[in-house]
Amino acid sequence: MIQLINVNKKFANGHVALNNVSLNIENGEFVFLVGTSGAGKSTIIKLLMKELELDSGKIIVDDKDITKIKRSHIPHLRRSMGVVFQDFRLLQDKTVYENVAFAMDVVEAASKDIRRQVPMMLGMVGLSKKSKQYPHQLSGGEQQRVSIARAMVNSPSILVADEPTGNLDPEMSVEIMKLFSEINQRGTTVIMATHDLHIVDKMKKRVVEINEGNIIRDERRGGYFSENQNR
Amino acid sequence: MKIRTAKFFVKEGFGSLRKNKTMSAASISSVIAALLVISIFFIIVINVDYAASKLESQIEMKVYLHDNLSEAIVSSMTKELKTISGVQDIQFIPKAQALTDLNKQWGDNSYLLEGLEGDNPLPDSFKVTLTDPSKANSVALAISSMSNIERVVYGKEELEKLLKTTYILRVSSLVIITILVFISIFIISNTIKLTVYARRREISIMKYVGATDWFVRGPFIVEGILLGLFGSFITTLAVGIGYYYSSNLIKNQMIGLLSVTLMPFGEVINSLAMLLTAVGLLIGIIGSFLSVRKFIKV
Repeated sequence: MIQLINVNKKFANGHVALNNVSLNIENGEFVFLVGTSGAGKSTIIKLLMKELELDSGKIIVDDKDITKIKRSHIPHLRRSMGVVFQDFRLLQDKTVYENVAFAMDVVEAASKDIRRQVPMMLGMVGLSKKSKQYPHQLSGGEQQRVSIARAMVNSPSILVADEPTGNLDPEMSVEIMKLFSEINQRGTTVIMATHDLHIVDKMKKRVVEINEGNIIRDERRGGYFSENQNR
Repeated sequence: MKIRTAKFFVKEGFGSLRKNKTMSAASISSVIAALLVISIFFIIVINVDYAASKLESQIEMKVYLHDNLSEAIVSSMTKELKTISGVQDIQFIPKAQALTDLNKQWGDNSYLLEGLEGDNPLPDSFKVTLTDPSKANSVALAISSMSNIERVVYGKEELEKLLKTTYILRVSSLVIITILVFISIFIISNTIKLTVYARRREISIMKYVGATDWFVRGPFIVEGILLGLFGSFITTLAVGIGYYYSSNLIKNQMIGLLSVTLMPFGEVINSLAMLLTAVGLLIGIIGSFLSVRKFIKV
């Protein structure tokens, strides 16, 4: 379970990114974080990854207060979370296979686990046949699928995605969302910040809307806009 | 650390060297430039030091004795002298021999000494060589306190000057070499910083998927070690060849002019290789460590 308790974050330039935000996310949930740019969606993700430090409040992940963990324990926290970015962040000089295996190399996994796990993940995202290609030979959607395979290869319990469909056309976005949905059905908690109203409306999952650092809506099965809002 | 991780570091480190050929060449060149300066300095220093220690070892002490001592007294004095700490060797020079030596030394002018054989004015003496010239003072004092000693003579002032000069030389050379090492670490870390900068994406990805700081540093440290070792190997080779030929040249040209010879090639090359390897490693490790520091904080 992920709990944000009275979280405040103000940037050095005075911009209030999060204003006393509290949020509970159960294990196995699928949560969209929506809102305009600069509303605070990415800040929540960065706080979860410990890329940023909060000013006050608590963030509890699996019963641990991550605001109190030491710098040397951050890697272990991150191993329990997979992360997917808008710009894929693949290594251009490594093949698809190597990009996914890299995430396992980095956590010092055993070679035999790597040889078993990487093809399995590539199979899951439907890229088994392209394992020897380089990222620039793939379409945007395929690249994002590689990055999802990389995020999932260490079997994290939480998958965090920051605008994963931001660089993709609508057809590809649908494909990617199917994948996230599948991952979620297998029990992984998915937290996704997005601008993409089509996918949010289509998925009918929990929607948390943030505006100027405040949570202004939290709907169990919501759309991109609230019911009483003018479209 | 797991063996697999070490392999990963080495593979990544070598891979990065190959991929960034231009940068690697630039880094190795700066290592070589820095090490060349250090080696030239080092060679000058060890040669001056070598010459100084040769001069030091030539310093000897003369102990003049009272006249007409019996053989028994002389032999007991010999034994006593040997027990003084700092004394390496003693040689008894009877007055007759002293005169013969003087004759030889004066050469063409030795006719001035003619007629002294009958009434030799020179005293019996001991020639004392020292284990360490800095002990000359205490040895001289100890000998003076013995009985039957007329006078103890050694180049006190010259010795002290020499000791002072070599001391200053050793200390200042150490300081200068240290400064040079720091300067080269700075240069290398700046060059490696460029490779690190080129790979900052990779570093941030590593950090996102949960790599520890040490894991991120690993490949760069291997890279730094390789750069340092390549640089020190090439420098050792170049300086070694240069020293071999120039020392031969100097030996042939100047041996008649100077009584001081250059340090033998074998000794120089050994200590130079060790120094450069150590410095190369140090530069590589610290340099890469420093350059990753900024990018690791993701």
